[in-house]
Amino acid sequence: MISQFFVLSQRGDHIVFRDYRGEVPKGSAEIFFRKVKFWNDDEAEEAPPVFNVDGVNYIHVKVAGLFFVVTTMVNVSPSLLLELLQRIARVTKDYLGVLNEDSLRKNFILVYELLDEVIDFGYPQTTSTEVLKSYIFNEPIMVDAGRLPPLGPAAMFMQGTKRMPGTAITKSVVATEPGGKKREEIFVDIIERISVTFSSSGYILTSEIDGTIQMKSYLTGNPEIRLALNEDLSIGRTGSSTYDYRSSSGGGAVILDDCNFHESVHLDSFDIDRTLHLIPPDGEFAVMNYRITQEFKPPFRVTALIEEAGPSRAEVLLKIRADFSANVTANTIIVQMPVPSYTMRASFELEAGAVGQTTDFKEGSRRIEWNLKKIIGGSEHTLRAKLTFSQESHGNLTKEAGPVNMNFTIPMYNTSKLQVRYLQIAKKSKTYNPYRWVRYVTQANSYVARL
Amino acid sequence: MSGHDSKYFSTTKKGEIPELKEELNSQYKDKRKDAVKKVIAAMTVGKDVSSLFTDVVNCMQTENLELKKLVYLYLINYAKSQPDLAILAVNTFVKDSQDPNPLIRALAVRTMGCIRVDKITEYLCDPLQRCLKDDDPYVRKTAAICVAKLYDINAELVEDRGFLEALKDLISDNNPMVVANAVAALAEIQDSSARPIFEITSHTLSKLLTALNECTEWGQVFILDSLSRYKAADAREAENIVERVTPRLQHANCAVVLSAVKIILLQMELITSTDVVRNLCKKMAPPLVTLLSAEPEIQYVALRNINLIVQKRPTILAHEIKVFFCKYNDPIYVKMEKLEIMIKLASDRNIDQVLLEFKEYATEVDVDFVRKAVRAIGRCAIKLERAAERCISVLLELIKIKVNYVVQEAIIVIKDIFRRYPNTYESIIATLCESLDTLDEPEAKASMIWIIGEYAERIDNADELLESFLETFPEEPALVQLQLLTATVKLFLKKPTEGPQQMIQAVLNNATVETDNPDLRDRAYIYWRLLSTDPEAAKDVVLAEKPVISDDSNQLDSSLLDDLLANISTLSSVYHKPPEAFVSRVKTAPRADDEEFADTAETGYSESPSQGVDGASPSSSTGTSSHVPVKQPAAGAPAAPAPMPDLLGDLMGMDNSIVPVDEPTKPSGPPLPVLLPSTTGQGLQISAQLVRCDGQIFYDISFDNGTQAVLDGFMIQFNKNTFGIAAGGPLQVPPLQPGASARTLLPMVVFQNISPGAPNSLLQVAVKNNQQPVWYFNDKIPMHVFFGEDGKMERASFLEAWKSLPDDNEFSKEFTASVISSIDATIEHLAASNVFFIAKRKNANKDVLYMSAKIPRGIPFLIELTAAVGVPGVKCAVKTPNKEMVALFFEAMESLLK
Repeated sequence: MISQFFVLSQRGDHIVFRDYRGEVPKGSAEIFFRKVKFWNDDEAEEAPPVFNVDGVNYIHVKVAGLFFVVTTMVNVSPSLLLELLQRIARVTKDYLGVLNEDSLRKNFILVYELLDEVIDFGYPQTTSTEVLKSYIFNEPIMVDAGRLPPLGPAAMFMQGTKRMPGTAITKSVVATEPGGKKREEIFVDIIERISVTFSSSGYILTSEIDGTIQMKSYLTGNPEIRLALNEDLSIGRTGSSTYDYRSSSGGGAVILDDCNFHESVHLDSFDIDRTLHLIPPDGEFAVMNYRITQEFKPPFRVTALIEEAGPSRAEVLLKIRADFSANVTANTIIVQMPVPSYTMRASFELEAGAVGQTTDFKEGSRRIEWNLKKIIGGSEHTLRAKLTFSQESHGNLTKEAGPVNMNFTIPMYNTSKLQVRYLQIAKKSKTYNPYRWVRYVTQANSYVARL
Repeated sequence: MSGHDSKYFSTTKKGEIPELKEELNSQYKDKRKDAVKKVIAAMTVGKDVSSLFTDVVNCMQTENLELKKLVYLYLINYAKSQPDLAILAVNTFVKDSQDPNPLIRALAVRTMGCIRVDKITEYLCDPLQRCLKDDDPYVRKTAAICVAKLYDINAELVEDRGFLEALKDLISDNNPMVVANAVAALAEIQDSSARPIFEITSHTLSKLLTALNECTEWGQVFILDSLSRYKAADAREAENIVERVTPRLQHANCAVVLSAVKIILLQMELITSTDVVRNLCKKMAPPLVTLLSAEPEIQYVALRNINLIVQKRPTILAHEIKVFFCKYNDPIYVKMEKLEIMIKLASDRNIDQVLLEFKEYATEVDVDFVRKAVRAIGRCAIKLERAAERCISVLLELIKIKVNYVVQEAIIVIKDIFRRYPNTYESIIATLCESLDTLDEPEAKASMIWIIGEYAERIDNADELLESFLETFPEEPALVQLQLLTATVKLFLKKPTEGPQQMIQAVLNNATVETDNPDLRDRAYIYWRLLSTDPEAAKDVVLAEKPVISDDSNQLDSSLLDDLLANISTLSSVYHKPPEAFVSRVKTAPRADDEEFADTAETGYSESPSQGVDGASPSSSTGTSSHVPVKQPAAGAPAAPAPMPDLLGDLMGMDNSIVPVDEPTKPSGPPLPVLLPSTTGQGLQISAQLVRCDGQIFYDISFDNGTQAVLDGFMIQFNKNTFGIAAGGPLQVPPLQPGASARTLLPMVVFQNISPGAPNSLLQVAVKNNQQPVWYFNDKIPMHVFFGEDGKMERASFLEAWKSLPDDNEFSKEFTASVISSIDATIEHLAASNVFFIAKRKNANKDVLYMSAKIPRGIPFLIELTAAVGVPGVKCAVKTPNKEMVALFFEAMESLLK
C-alpha cells in the first residue's frame, strides 16, 4: 500500500512528509520533484500523474499549486490513491478553511494528526470530515484568506456576484467562530462545466455537460435533508446514438447519460419522486455527479474569421453573442485564438463604447487574447484584429490559426435545466430556520470554435 | 492553544536543546505541550532532537490526548535509533492499551505497531490479542491493520500467536470497517507469503458481498480487490457476483468504479449467456465514460485502463468515440491517451468524424501531439482499407501547410501506407517529392529514400533525387545511410544505366571503405558480392515482394493483454506491464524448492570472498596457464615505450597521489603471482594481484627484498587503463631489511584515470623506492573484481532484460578446459565472486544455469552456462548492453571456472 505521503511546494520544499512503511529509499521527494520538473527534458510538458522511477511508484495530483504525492512499492490501484490525494486536500481544506503552503505550515501538527487518522500503515481509513471530528483534537489556526487564490468550483462565488457571503468558502468546518456561536447554514451548489465544439460553419460538433451538486453543511446536529430534483428527470439515453442531437426532446425533460451519488445519499424514493434523502456529513462533498450529452442551447455563439489582407497581413474578426436572458450576466470572459507562428504584431479595434474589455497579443504563445469583464444576456460583442506577418503566409491561414477557445463563468444560470425544486431540512424546533443557499453556476470547460 | 504553530520553527538560538529540556520538564501542562510541539517542529525540519527522548517520553503519561498523540509521533520517529530507550515507553503503551477510552486503546496499538523495534514487538502481542476482541469497532479495525504491521516485522510471531485466525474471524465482524481492514491486512499478508493464507470460500464470499454495501469507499476497494481473486465455480455464481457488484458502478469514487469493472470483466469470462454479457457491456459503458469527467489525473488512469478494455471488448465503447475527442484544456498526457483510444475505436462508420478531429489536432501548437495526430491518421489508413484514400487525402492536405515536422511525420506514415497497400497510391509520390529538401529528421529522410528506391522505375528523376542525398552520405546517420545504400541498389537493378552505375560505385565505396559502422559495411559487401556474381539473383533478393504490414494499433499480444486485464485498476494496467516487471518486493522465502537458492546466496556472502577470488586468480593474472608461477619478465626494462613517459610524468608530477608511508601491514593469504622477478628487479621481487574484498577492490601486493640494502620509501603508480583503476590511498610498506618481505592491501578506486580506446585488461604499474630505479611491470585486470554485490537480478527482471537486448548483443564462448564437477559447488563458487545464480534447467544431459553479474555504472551481464557435469567444456553465453566488455568478461569467467 502507500509507503509515503508528502506535500511539496512549487519550489520543491517539503511542507508535509510522512513515511508509513520505511521501505522507500531516502530522497524520494527530491527524485519525484526533479522528475516532474524536467519531464522529457521539457518544462512545458506535464508529467503524467503516475510513474515509476527505480522501482518506486509515484502518484501525484496538483491542488492549489501544491504537489500532493504518495509513493508505493506494490501494484495498487492508482485511482484509489489519486482519489485519496484529492480527498486529503479537501479534508485539510475543510479543517483549515484555506489550503495553501502557509496554512499547512501553520497547522502542521493538526495536519499530521489528520494524516494519522486518514492513513494507517498505508491503508486509507476514513476521509470523512464528519467522522474525523471525533478523533482530531488540535484546533485549526486560521490564516488570512484575503488575497488567496480560491480553490474548488464553489470558489467562483467569491468573484463577481455579491449575493453570497464570501467568507463561507474559506470558513473552517470545525473551527468555532470568533462570535462563539456557529452560524447555521447550508450551501447547495449546482455547478455545470460545459464543453462545446463548434465547426467552422457554426454547427455543433460535440457538446457535453459535466454537472455536480455540491454541498457544504454548517448545520449542527446533522439533520436529515431532502433534496428534490426535476420530476421529469430521466437517466440513461434510450436511443444509443450519440451522433444524433435532434432526436432528444428540445425543451422538456432533462435526460442524464449517467450519474453517481455520494455514499450518504439514500435513493429509496429517487425512482418515484426524484428526491434525494441524506444526512449531510460535515465538510464539502459532491452529493451527485452527472453527465449530459443531450442537446442544449449553448450560452454563447462564437464566430471567428481570419482573412488575408495583403501579402503579409491578415484580419481577424471575433464575434460573441450571449444567448441567454438579459437578467443574467456572465463574468470573467477570456477569448483566446492562436495565430500563425510568423505573426509579428497585432493591432486591435474594439467596438465603439466598449467598457471593461482588454486585448493582448501574447508573443510567446503566439495567440491573441480578448478579456471581457462581463457580458449581459442578449448582447453581442465584436473584436477586430489586424495581424502583421514576418513572411508571406502559405495561403492556409485557417489551418495555421485557431481554434478559438473561450472561458467564462455564468452565475445563477444552469445549462441543463436541472433544478433543485426544494431543499427541506428536518426541523429540530419551530424556531430552527437555518440559512439555505442554493446556487447555480455554469462554467466553460472546453468551449471551442474551429476556423 | 495559542498563537501559531509556525512559531515553533523559529527558536533556533543557541542552547535550544537545554531550553527545550527544561520546558519539557515543566510542572505546567500547557508549557509541556508547547515544548513537545517545538520538538516535533524541529524533528520535521530534520533537526536531531533524539537527545530529548527521555524527557519527551516522560510527557507520555497524560490524560491529554492531544499531548499523547504528539509524544507518539515523536516515538515512532526515534524509536528505531534509540531502541533501548523505547523500552521505557512500553509500560505506558501496555497501560494505554487497557485504558477505558477506546481512542487511547486504539492509539496505543496503532503506535506500537509502527515502532519497528524487536523488543517492543514482544510486548505488543498481548495488547494486540485483547484489542482484536475489543468491544469498540474503532479499536478492532486499528488492531486488524496492526496484525499486518506485526507480520511485516516478525511473520513467525504472527503465525505462532494465532493472529491470522483472529484476523480471519474479523471477516465475520458486524462492523464493515473492521471487515474491510481485516481483508486489507489478510490480502497484504497473502501477498508476502507463498502459503495459502487468505482463501475466499463461498462462505466468506457472501460475507464480503454483504459488507461491501455498508463500508466506506476505501473499504469497498479493499474488498472488491480481494474478491477479484475469487474464481467463481460456474456461470450461475459468476452472474450472482456480478449482480451484487454492479451497483458499485454508480459510486462517485472512481477507484470503486474501476475495481468493480475489473470484477465484472473477470466474471464475464465465465458467463455463457450472450444476453447477459451484452447487457453487462451496456451497463459498464456509461460509468466508464463518466470517469472522463473526473480530474485529469484520474482521466489518465481511466484512459489507460479503457485502452486495455477496448482491446478485449471493443463493443463496450464502440458508440462512444465522441467522448474521447480531445478537449481544449486537456493536459497533454490525457490528449495522447485519447488519441490512442480514438484509433482503436475508429471504424468505417465514424472515420469521417475521426479524421476531421485528427486534422484539427494536426494544426495545434504542441509538437508531440501534432506528430502523434499525423501518425494516427496513417494508422487509421492502415487499419481501415475502405478509408485509406480519405486518410491519404487528409495527409496530403497537411503536407501542403508546409509545417516542417508535419510534413516529415506524414512522409513516415505514408511509407507505411505504401507497404500496406502496394501499388495503389503511388500517384502521390510527386507531391511528396516536392518537400524533399525540407527533410532533416533521419526517420523522415530514410522513409523518403525508401519510397524513392522502392518506386524508382516510376519516378523519372529518381537518380537525380537520390544523388542529391548522396553528396552528404558520410555525414548522414546510420539509418539514412542504410536506406540510401539499399535504395541505390534498387535503382541500379531497375535502371542499370550509366548514371546509377556510377552512383552505386560511389555508394559501395563509401559504405565499405570509409565507414566504421559494421552493419553498413556488411550490408554493402553483401550487395557488392551479389551484384558482381549474379545480378539476377540480386534482383530476386533485393526486389523481392515484401510482406504486407498490418495495423499495429492492437499491439499487445493476447496473453499479455489477459494478464493486464486481470490487473485492471492497478498500476500494472497503467504502465501496461505485468506486475512482476516493476514490483520488486519478494515473497518471503518459502520452504523447499527455493531453499537451495537461498543457501547459495547466503554462503556466498558468509565465506571470505577473497578466498574465492584468490583461488581463481593465478591463472587470470598469468593469462596463459594456471601452473606457471612466474610472470614473464617485463622485457628487460620498460616493455612498452609509449606509456612510459606518461607513467614517469605521473609518478613525478603528482606527488600527492604517491604518499610514502612506513607503517607495517600484516601479510596474509596464499602466495601471489610474481610480477617482477628478482632477476629483473635487481634483487627486489614484487608479486601482486587485484582482489575484491567486502565490496572493495584492493591491490594485494608483496615485496621481497633480495638485495643487500635496506629498501624504503616505496611508492606506487598505475598507468591509465580501461577501468581507470588507481591507488585509493598511500602504499603502506615499512622499510625492508635485506631478506625481509612485506605484504599489504592497497585500496583501489576506479574510474580515476581511464584510458581511451577499446577495453583491455592491461594494467601497467610503476613502483619506486629510495634506493633503486623505477620498476615497471604489467599486470592483468581480472574483470571479476568489478562484479558488484548488487549484481543479483530477480528472475522476472532477468527475463525482461534478456528480451529487451537485441540479439547482436549476445555472445558465446566455449571454455574447453573447464569442467563443472558439481552444480552446487559451481554456484557457490561463482556467488563468492558476485556472479549470482538465478535459475537452472535441464536440457538433455546438460545443465543450463542462468546467472547475473553487474559491473560499476550499472552494466549488467546476463549469463547462460551450459555444461554436462563432469565433462570438460562449458559453453558460456552472455548478453550485455556493453559489447566491448565481452572479451574481458569471457576471460574473467574462464578463469573463475578453472
